[in-house]
Amino acid sequence: MTATYRIIVCDGTSCINKGSRKLTDLLRQELDKHGLTDQVTIGLSGCLGMCDKGPIMVVNPGYTIYGGLTESDIPEIVEEHLVHGRAIARLAIQEDHLYNRFFRVFGDAKFFGHQMRITLRNCGIIDPESIDDYLSLRGYEALAKAITEMTPQEVIAEVQQAGLRGRGGAGFPTGLKWKFTAAEKASPKYVICNADEGDPGAFMDRSAIEGDPHTVVEGMAIGGYAIGASKGIVYIRAEYPLAIKRITKAIEDARAHGLLGDHILGSDFSFNIEIRLGAGAFVCGEETALIHSIEGSRGMPRPRPPYPSVVGLFGQPTLINNVETWANIPVIVLDGANWFKTVGTETSKGTKVFALAGKVVNTGLIEVPMGTTLRQIIYDVGGGIPFGKKFKAVQTGGPSGGCLPEQYLDTAIDYESLAKAGSIMGSGGMIVIDEDSCMVDIAKFFLEFTQNESCGKCTPCREGTKRMLDILTRITEGRGKPGDIEKLERLGNMIKKASLCGLGQSAPNPVLSTIKNFREEYEEHINEKHCRAGVCKKLLTYQITEKCVGCGACRKACPVNAISGSAKNMHVIDQDKCIKCSACFNTCKFDAIAKV
Amino acid sequence: MPTPLELIRKKRAEAVGRIVGKGYLSTKRVYVGMATCEIAAGSKEVMEVFQKAISRGLTDVYLSQKGCAGRCNLEPTVEVIEAGKSPVKYGKVDKERAQQIIERHLKNGEVIQEWTID
Repeated sequence: MTATYRIIVCDGTSCINKGSRKLTDLLRQELDKHGLTDQVTIGLSGCLGMCDKGPIMVVNPGYTIYGGLTESDIPEIVEEHLVHGRAIARLAIQEDHLYNRFFRVFGDAKFFGHQMRITLRNCGIIDPESIDDYLSLRGYEALAKAITEMTPQEVIAEVQQAGLRGRGGAGFPTGLKWKFTAAEKASPKYVICNADEGDPGAFMDRSAIEGDPHTVVEGMAIGGYAIGASKGIVYIRAEYPLAIKRITKAIEDARAHGLLGDHILGSDFSFNIEIRLGAGAFVCGEETALIHSIEGSRGMPRPRPPYPSVVGLFGQPTLINNVETWANIPVIVLDGANWFKTVGTETSKGTKVFALAGKVVNTGLIEVPMGTTLRQIIYDVGGGIPFGKKFKAVQTGGPSGGCLPEQYLDTAIDYESLAKAGSIMGSGGMIVIDEDSCMVDIAKFFLEFTQNESCGKCTPCREGTKRMLDILTRITEGRGKPGDIEKLERLGNMIKKASLCGLGQSAPNPVLSTIKNFREEYEEHINEKHCRAGVCKKLLTYQITEKCVGCGACRKACPVNAISGSAKNMHVIDQDKCIKCSACFNTCKFDAIAKV
Repeated sequence: MPTPLELIRKKRAEAVGRIVGKGYLSTKRVYVGMATCEIAAGSKEVMEVFQKAISRGLTDVYLSQKGCAGRCNLEPTVEVIEAGKSPVKYGKVDKERAQQIIERHLKNGEVIQEWTID
């Protein structure tokens, strides 16, 4: 045999219960017996979503799915399929499901093996600018199915039954939102896709639109059918030119194929989508501010209720969902709510996309089932912390979220568990922090962002975040005072309670969660004027150690002439003159300058 | 009058026909990552190398762009897919690597292991 096979064994809970691990052992023994160990690799994956047919094994190339396996099937698979290259029809499951299509190309790579792709099922395997590519993968079939076989109420019931919750961050049940909007009598109604992704370090929505724009278009059309709207708007930030280009082309192509516009696919349902560009204000991701922005007003939130489902765009009932939420819809309609709800946890169904970044070996865009633990994401998918450094915390939810230390690593992520741990799901930013980062500095970074992006409408957010930032700046510069931590806590809790919208209500989270979990670092900064990570420059002193050979390079590099010493003798730094610019540290070739 | 579901199935068949007409059944399919992140990492140049090779007579290759697969730190990425074989995924592809992939993999069938992603 010439071909190399890669086998993926589903390592989800249900398959394990059905004996998948025993089968894996048996498979290894059989391979050994045939001398195939070098030619066949075995990988474990997270739940592949075919629990009722488990244990599941996927053989690549070919994406042959074997299901309902027993111990006696293993020798046959090895003998027939792996030795003779004949797939065994009797054991193969014929499934043309939408989810996990991605794995037909990528399933054998370790990084992807632990993932499960519903939202990003086509991202990276099709040409996003070709409607033919999308159509060939059952594109727009969900829309056609909804129009042909389902009443709008049935579509809503399906979404409700699936248990899908808003992927923008708050996690409101999507089906319920649809039901409320559908129940409104006023006309016209609108459908909005919120693509105003603004968290620092987050790029889930951009990638989803750039990789598979038609999914979003199809999801929105289904939403329009369900609530009785004929107009949709994609609100996307102007900083995403390629995403804008691709979704614009997707809309035009869909229209040319009769998949948008009047009488879609010859039916009575008409639906059109237009694009509105956002100028890049973070607050416009908040739904009422977003609606104001589309209307041409200043992007500022307003109190809710009334919710947009009752009084939305131009005062009309409006259904507004995030990109990722929309991208789930075609899968729910086609693969069914009954399948969808098998994925995830008790309260949170399906998968979540994360932008994995920071101090982790494999940075990237990942999608995992709800219920995956933070440890699995960081170590199995992310490959752990680079350069043998120690893990310190993981930040989820961007500027609205919190930092979770090591004891939360085994938290199975869903909306509730993350909130309970003191962070939030958020839209999906996930930043891994190692021992070289200062938690006070990180809290300050996020607060600087929200303080900057506060729209200024309500006082707690506008003034409160500014005062908190003042205190944090003071602490990182060595001017912290006893009582500062308590003041931050009091202010933070006040801002959370009294702010008008989600921006203010969540802005103190990075500070409060770092105080909760890393209080000792704050105390060190304030009481000992010490930053253990060596990040807060003003708290550092630079000292020349005995390794100094007296070359004079640091003396020449110092911009304020704080270093003195004669040739070939140890130099010294005048601490009163030192401005802590690090120039000497970066110049020294002998590792003779220490930050203390 | 056909139902929307019947219509979409017809559209799907037509779409498949058009893709096949563009050479989808060629021996090798090459996908070059062309999302913002990939382009920033230099994938446009890589795409041009493949385009040029095809215009200069490289045959039996179906070239397509694709969205972001998610391997940020290994971009630009390129996949070479052949029927009956494991898809080969290359990472950190630059102009030189693209040229090598054309010469060694596409023309001679050699998988360049050290550049593959696992």
